Amino acid sequence: MKKKITTLILGLSFLFIPGFASGQDLLIKNGTILTVTKGTIPQGDILIIKGVIKQIGENIEAPKGVKIIDATGKYVIPGIIDSHTHIAITASNESSEAITPEVRIRDVLNAEAPAIYTALTGGVTMVHTMHGSGNPIGGQNIVLKMKWGHPSEEMIVHEAYRTLKFALGENVKQSNFFTTTSRYPQSRMGVNAIIRREFLKAKNYMEKRDRYLKAKKSKKSSKNLIPPRKDLRMEALADVLRGKMVARCHTYRADETLEFINLSKELGFKIACFEHASEAFKITKELVSEGIGISVFLDNWAYKIEAYEGIAYSAAYCTKKGVLVSINSDSSERIRRLFNDAAKAMKYGGLSEEEALKLITINPAIQLGVEKIAGSLEVGKHGDIAIFNEHPMSAYTRCDMTIIEGEIYFDRAQYLKEREEMEKKKKAEKDKKKKGGER
Amino acid sequence: MIKRAIAFTTLLMLILAFGFTQEKSPNLIAIKGANIIPVKGEDISEGIILIKDGLIEGLGKNIDIPPEARIIEAKGLFAYPGLIDGLCFLGLSEISSLRSTIDYREIGRNNSQLKAVEALRPESVHIPITRANGITAVLVAPTGSLIAGQSGLIRLVGWTPEEMIIKSPVAMHIAFPSIPRRRRGRETAPPEESSKRIEELKKILNEARYYGKRKEAARKNLLLAYPDFDESLEFLLPVVKGELPVIISVHADKDIKAAIKFVQEEKLKAIFFGVEQAWRVAEDIKKAGIPVIFSSLYGMPPKWEDGYDGLYRNPSVLHKAGVKFAFSSSSSSLAKDLPYHAAKAAAFGLDRKEALKGVTIYPAEIFGVDHLMGSLEKGKVANIVLADGDILELRTNIERVFIDGKEVDLSNKYTELLKKFKKRN
Amino acid sequence: MRFKKHLSFICFFIALLLLASSLLARVDPAYALVNCKIIPVSSPVIVKGVIIIRDGLIEFVGPAEKIAIPEDAEVIEAEGLVAYPGLIDAHTNLFIELPKEEPQRRRGVGMAPQEKESGRYPDVMALKLLKPKKSTMESFHKIGVTTVLAAPGKGIFAGQSVLLNLNGEKPEAMVVRNPVALHINFSTARGVYPATVMGTMAFLRQSFMDVNYYHSYKSFLAKKPKGIKRPEYNPLLEALFPFVLEKKPIIFTCRNQEDIKRALRLIDEFELNGLLGGVNEAWRVAENLKKAKIPLLVSLHFKPPYTSIYVNQGEEMKEKSEKEIYPANTAKLQKSGIKFAVTSYGLMKADSFLKNIQKAIKAGLSKEEALKALTIHPARILGVSNIMGSLEAGKIANVILTSGEIFEEKTRVEKVFVDGILFKIKKPPKKAKAAALNITGKWKGTVSGSMGELDMTIELEQVENEVTGTISSSFGKWEISDGFLSGNDLTFTISAEIMGQSMEMEFSGKAEKDLIEGTITFEGGSAEIRATRIPEERSQRREP
Repeated sequence: MKKKITTLILGLSFLFIPGFASGQDLLIKNGTILTVTKGTIPQGDILIIKGVIKQIGENIEAPKGVKIIDATGKYVIPGIIDSHTHIAITASNESSEAITPEVRIRDVLNAEAPAIYTALTGGVTMVHTMHGSGNPIGGQNIVLKMKWGHPSEEMIVHEAYRTLKFALGENVKQSNFFTTTSRYPQSRMGVNAIIRREFLKAKNYMEKRDRYLKAKKSKKSSKNLIPPRKDLRMEALADVLRGKMVARCHTYRADETLEFINLSKELGFKIACFEHASEAFKITKELVSEGIGISVFLDNWAYKIEAYEGIAYSAAYCTKKGVLVSINSDSSERIRRLFNDAAKAMKYGGLSEEEALKLITINPAIQLGVEKIAGSLEVGKHGDIAIFNEHPMSAYTRCDMTIIEGEIYFDRAQYLKEREEMEKKKKAEKDKKKKGGER
Repeated sequence: MIKRAIAFTTLLMLILAFGFTQEKSPNLIAIKGANIIPVKGEDISEGIILIKDGLIEGLGKNIDIPPEARIIEAKGLFAYPGLIDGLCFLGLSEISSLRSTIDYREIGRNNSQLKAVEALRPESVHIPITRANGITAVLVAPTGSLIAGQSGLIRLVGWTPEEMIIKSPVAMHIAFPSIPRRRRGRETAPPEESSKRIEELKKILNEARYYGKRKEAARKNLLLAYPDFDESLEFLLPVVKGELPVIISVHADKDIKAAIKFVQEEKLKAIFFGVEQAWRVAEDIKKAGIPVIFSSLYGMPPKWEDGYDGLYRNPSVLHKAGVKFAFSSSSSSLAKDLPYHAAKAAAFGLDRKEALKGVTIYPAEIFGVDHLMGSLEKGKVANIVLADGDILELRTNIERVFIDGKEVDLSNKYTELLKKFKKRN
Repeated sequence: MRFKKHLSFICFFIALLLLASSLLARVDPAYALVNCKIIPVSSPVIVKGVIIIRDGLIEFVGPAEKIAIPEDAEVIEAEGLVAYPGLIDAHTNLFIELPKEEPQRRRGVGMAPQEKESGRYPDVMALKLLKPKKSTMESFHKIGVTTVLAAPGKGIFAGQSVLLNLNGEKPEAMVVRNPVALHINFSTARGVYPATVMGTMAFLRQSFMDVNYYHSYKSFLAKKPKGIKRPEYNPLLEALFPFVLEKKPIIFTCRNQEDIKRALRLIDEFELNGLLGGVNEAWRVAENLKKAKIPLLVSLHFKPPYTSIYVNQGEEMKEKSEKEIYPANTAKLQKSGIKFAVTSYGLMKADSFLKNIQKAIKAGLSKEEALKALTIHPARILGVSNIMGSLEAGKIANVILTSGEIFEEKTRVEKVFVDGILFKIKKPPKKAKAAALNITGKWKGTVSGSMGELDMTIELEQVENEVTGTISSSFGKWEISDGFLSGNDLTFTISAEIMGQSMEMEFSGKAEKDLIEGTITFEGGSAEIRATRIPEERSQRREP
């Protein structure tokens, strides 16, 4: 079976590997370049060859035939990364059962979802599309590049960590449904108990397999040995225990967050990031000592009682305390305003421009394991870029162009032109109809 | 004689003592050195605003400051009129998933008897957060029914609902059909015909008209049967008389046109709310002389054909056509974001000064309170905000806020929780 | 009194049926179709030829000079007509009556995990679910289809399909091959696992893995029965053995391009013998399909799936996609060099199938390829190309005679042979007036004749001139088909079923606003019908 999968992957790999199949050449000239990690270049150029940044500096000469974008007066930043969304999929939560780590978001991708285009209009080039928060243990998430117009398999970012969605609190207890439900667990006690149960089952599953392998090798006759059945659900959890997948856990209250950290230590798995974590500012001590980051809203709060103590200062405060913080949208509408949310971290908590910009670029990249290819403008990284007409932290800014691996996926000027033509066509049709009527 | 002298001296001493202990008049404040953005009239760099008894006594580059005035140093800061929200649910909604905390919706079709201000919770945590961002007055309105009820304008300070009310009722709220949203995997429902609703509304308004006329006639003639009290019609009488304006939630271009016809035929004073596709019929709205209030710009345009920036472009198109407009947050927990809706419109073509007017003088004019607020002018109420930058900018910090000439506490749930947990970490 | 009425009716009908059944025991005549143009599909066109049909098979196809007409053959003059192989619709769920939906399992409380329930087991046979309706069969004959693959519709493992020749009403007589393939849908259950397609994928993968595991466990057990505990009998896995282990065909129904990709991944991972049905978006992934070389049963259902980009970019685009873009699917596949069959899957009427074939041709599919996609390609894909799919001596006598070139607007199918049995296609009334009124609704009627009276309730539905409906009486529910209202003249066919025997009756009469009157004729007699309209119940007014 493994051989088949490997051959399949290899066979289609030329479609998968970004930068080699679809990467293009582009030269962006004369913009204010905010590299995020290596300072600002007031009037700089970026040269992208075959989708990868080849050069960043001043007065770069354009190689022959390379398309040039004039960014005079504009701001050039790394493509924004939204680390928690549910876009580009046709189903988000397998609610029929509480524990479903065997389901994979990559099985329900939809490359034609309009939300992908919406994301591009907000300068977002990469998203972490996740399973919903309706299950204590949900499914396997995926990281996608917003390559609008391309088939779904070309959007998958294979460099990213494999992540498994966990969730705590009101959503998994189904306590905000219109009618009462009867799916266990219905309390926070049950949520922790069921997570513990599943990991212990997975450990048991792994132990059985180890015993079988050992017994097979031993001198004593192994002719009566039946190999244990391979179970996709247990395999997924086993991968988490083996460190091949990391947990990303949806949580609100500080107490449940701490209890989950305890669970992870008790059972032996790694938490990559807490999602939403609206009370993270209460437990920065623990988050820093455990080295766990958070992916939060800036100021979306008070929609549930467990979110009633989420404060707008949390993102900035946690950053200052040394927690790795990213800002997410968790919404196909808010995804186009992530840069506005990041700017609010300057007002609520006093982050600097650069620190605020990190919240939507390099920080989510590190959390997702893609910092080698995205999150900042550095030579060798992918040419994923967003161009704004004002400073991205200004309320008056607007994204004018979004580029992925050197290819322009969103161009406001082009959009306006197409709209104008469409309006002209409509008017001409209307006039024709009128004339026809007059006759 | 001596007794009188002693009495007089004591009295004099008391008066003088009182005079000494009374350092500065609390009702006389001078804000000094701020860059004043009055919204109406020219900006004044490093000017002075004088507040007396809750009103703006004067403002200018060099005006005399009475000695007993309390001086507020504001060099390097910008002084704006307090912002006005065109529609929100502050005080009527605490936690959106908990029905027990929601009081802006009611069951029933005709709820003209409801007054939003009667359900206010002055202790809502969202109020201090909102005023800490420079918003000083908001319109709170009911929603959800065909005729949702009466909205009111409130100030964001006060111990009781009565203390908060500036004007109530401001308008009667009516809803035209909304545009059905596409949901994943399901066919979009066909849009509801506004003609049905218009028929229903006309019927109700006619009944109200007759009810009113009959009452009048019966008052003059004892022998004529006096109509029974009808709650569903009584509160519509000022509407049909043209005294109380209606705010109509209307969204699609066809429906906006139908709404214009409706208010003209029914001779109603009208304001439109929502108007997501107004840019398609801007000329018609202008001709009808109807002002609009935009719903939150934090939304997707109703149709793909409107373009991804449909809601963002809307204000600039309407302004160019000459329509008066105001912005709204349409929220309670995000009411503090009011200035950023205006800024978003400015990012997509609206003149920045006009954007500021959309959250200050224009809503004041639309609600008929522009003699009280909406700009920094002599005689208006002293709702003043001191900011360290452009009030519409995201990174701007609000330093001080005055409502009715009194400085308000800017601490709120955010700041309190932060303070508390700073101690732990 | 009432019983006496019924008794006389029953006696009368039994007599008729005995007469009818005696007629059925006859030997089918041999036929000689002469002077027609013949399009055999697998060989060149014969301008003027002869087809000889005997005992349900084609005895001869060729130019007239080459053969003498056999003595016992009934000669059918076919000058001016064109003979084609009977068309094969390789994927339909019509003819199937689905069992009632099982009530949803309530979710249990407590720590025990739920049993995975996913629809019926793979050994559900379409043959057992068949409910062939005469009117449906006739509607297929009308468009030239003689053979259909009837597939069960619902559930992840929907069941196994059967290939039928539409030669009458007895299911057993219609079977050409059973079973043909296992049908898998990427469907989901409500409230029970799997409730999303990602759950369905996990379920399918786990099931296929478990088949291999279960089989190896059993084989192990077979070799060394002592000392090893037997595995619990698993009917689901047992039913999957032929398809996962013996690589019998599996048809995945794909609603959109992502379903196609999902199916390809499964076929690849478990080395299945896979075919794809539905696939009305196949052109979007033509490259993948070409590489994978998977047989396609392309449905001519042009409604774009809700995931499609064409659906989410405004009403205009959505309509355009249904009128122009999706109909061009087959044309684009043809251009890519992919061979396929076309099917009516997803369409509710045979009529729509023909209309959509014409639309597909208009959108660029060549007429020759369209014909092949309905004859030799489906025959090959379904593994029956040695016995059907073209006009060749020795193959099954499924032949259609058309008034002109097939798929043309004006062309009518005049005669249809299925398994050598002749079916004449009714001509539509020459001058059809617009219907004078709409007789949709419920009617209370009485049939009166020499055998007495019978009360019945008639439910009618009228769309323009066409009328369909049902007649309910103490004998059960009978179907009304082929109804036509021209002006006030009403005609329709009743498919009566009395104690398991079916019989056809023709009605002809007049329809007024609240009164329908006329005569029904059947083999051996006639009766009068009079029906009055049952007024609509006024709906309750609710208090405001």
